[in-house]
Parts: sequence; C-alpha cells; structure tokens
Amino acid sequence: MFVSASCRSRLPPSHFKEESVVNVVYLVSVLWKSVKMLRRVVARGLWSGHGAVRTSVELRNKEIRTHQDIAAKLLVGWRRRDELRGLHCTPSYYKTQDRKEMLASMPVKDEGTEGEVTQGLDNSLEGSGGMFPDEDTPNLLCDGVRFADLPILHARVSKNNTMLTLTDAKGMVKLYRSCGVEGFKNAKKGTNIAAQATAISLATRALNQGIKTVKVKVSGIGPGRMAAVKGLTMGGLNVVSITDDTPISFNYSQRPRKARKL
Amino acid sequence: MGVGSRHVQFVARTVLVKKNNVEEGMRVLNRLMGREGLLDRYRLTRRYEKPTQMRRRVNFEKAKAIYNEDMDRKITLVMRMNRLNPWVGSA
Repeated sequence: MFVSASCRSRLPPSHFKEESVVNVVYLVSVLWKSVKMLRRVVARGLWSGHGAVRTSVELRNKEIRTHQDIAAKLLVGWRRRDELRGLHCTPSYYKTQDRKEMLASMPVKDEGTEGEVTQGLDNSLEGSGGMFPDEDTPNLLCDGVRFADLPILHARVSKNNTMLTLTDAKGMVKLYRSCGVEGFKNAKKGTNIAAQATAISLATRALNQGIKTVKVKVSGIGPGRMAAVKGLTMGGLNVVSITDDTPISFNYSQRPRKARKL
Repeated sequence: MGVGSRHVQFVARTVLVKKNNVEEGMRVLNRLMGREGLLDRYRLTRRYEKPTQMRRRVNFEKAKAIYNEDMDRKITLVMRMNRLNPWVGSA
C-alpha cells in the first residue's frame, strides 16, 4: 500500500495513464528498489529493538543505578512513563498538563474594582434553586393535587383595607373576608393586625370546608401585604406559592388623581 | 385583576414556598419587585405627576446615578484587597 502510493506519486499522471511497456518496466524497477529499502529498514529496526531489549534487561539486572546516567534514566522513563519524562520528546505531549498545573498553583487573580468584570444579574438570588416556577410546576403535586388545580387565595391589599377571597382554580368564589367584615372599622381596617386577624379567620373557615393547601395571589401594596400571607399560615393553611398580581402601569391609561397638596 | 387576564398565570412574579416558609418567600418577592423598580413605578402612578415634576425627578435621578456609580467605584478601589503594596505613597 505504502510502496504503491509512493510510486504513483513519483510518476507523472500522463505516463501512468498511457501504460506503455517502458513505463511498466520503470514501475517494476522502482517497486523492486523500494522493496529492498523496506527490507533494510525492517532489518535495522529489528536489530535496534533487539539491542534495546538487551540493554533494558541489563539495566533491570543492575537495579537501576541511574542517578548520573541520563540515557539510562531516559530509557527507564520511556518504559515506565509515570516515573520520568524524556527531555526531548515529551515536552509537547505534556505541555497542556503542565500549564494546567501551573495555573492551579497560582494565586487567585485579583479581579479589580467592580465594573471591570461582568457580573450576574442578581447575585443575591444565586443558589435559590427550585424557588421559581418552571415548565413542570403546573404538574407539581401538592398534597395530592396538581399545582394548576389548587384553590387560589386572592389578597387585595390597599392602603385602607385588606380583602381576602378564596376561589377554586377557575376563579369561582368560595369564601370572602375583609378587615371591614371582620369588625375593624375606619382607620383600623388599614393595619397589619387587622389583616392578620382576617387571614386567620379565613384560614379556619377554609379548613372547615376541607381546603388545606392554597396558592396565594397578592395584589396591591399596603400594610396588610405581609401580614395577610403570614396570617394564613398561622391559621393552619398550607401556602404553596406566592404570586404578585399588582396592576402596575408604565404609562397612564387614564390620568390618575390630582396629587395631594402638602 | 392585574396581569391575570392576558398572561399565563402563576409564572411571572411568582415564588414557590418551601415548608410553609412564607416570610422568606415574601422577602424574595418584594426584593425582586424592588430591584426591578416595580414598587417605585406603582407608587409613582398612584397620583398624577406634572410634567415639570417629572422632568425635575428624572434629572435628579440621572445626577444621582452618576454620583453613586462614581462613589461606588471609589469605595471599592479604596477597599480593594490583595494589593502588592498596601501602603501606596507612604513607604
């Protein structure tokens, strides 16, 4: 295979195509030459291999006194690569490995002042795995019910009141309580204590109806925002998720009220 | 209803609560909304803001952002660790 390839490369392609007698003779002579060369090479290789084996056997018998003898060291190293590396043949082979080791041993690079390196969007949220919904969340089983089929608790929080509505997954109302219904009047409606009391009362009623697990939707910002959700758990409900549903507009769809005069 | 009618529900602005730990959930949710500027936006759109007021506010915010960025850079430079020579100019 090797010989024929070399012959073909030596001959110009036109000669090869014609297949004249002269060319055939030339081809045979070239073939013969290369076969002779090959035999010589093989013989030399065999002889040197024999020598190497002999040397290695001797070395093994000497039990390797190779502190000064670099050639012997190299030979042994070639046989057992882990122990020693050849000076001339292995550097390129070990280059990547050496670089990695060198970099690992270096001190950590000072990244400089903030802003010179790229940073994550929200570093404080790193490691909060499983805290945010993904594509499997609707099928997540919570107390044997699919997440998508869980009843929803809508908490409408405003500055002056907190209103809690419990609906099923499709939005049919089952329970409604608000701070006003609960007996808090006027400014007392807009307090976190009122919101908490309302939430506890709603939670007990829900438990009476056999509803234990809910997902919460909070809408609006006010004193009852935190207290309402907290009160639900205090009343014994199991909260699976909290969603913010506050209507936030970035342009005025309708001009809002006049600003208060201070 | 806020975004409910036009979007897939319980995906955006949602936090899953683990072991009924609602306080942490609310904290994460509030922090997210604060960082995204949603709470500010909510407060700003409760009452009408006159154009002059808006211009003044926006200009002030620009100036403040530039100042804060510069000041942060300066502070981090001063607080920077692992200097080759920790006492620059004094030795």
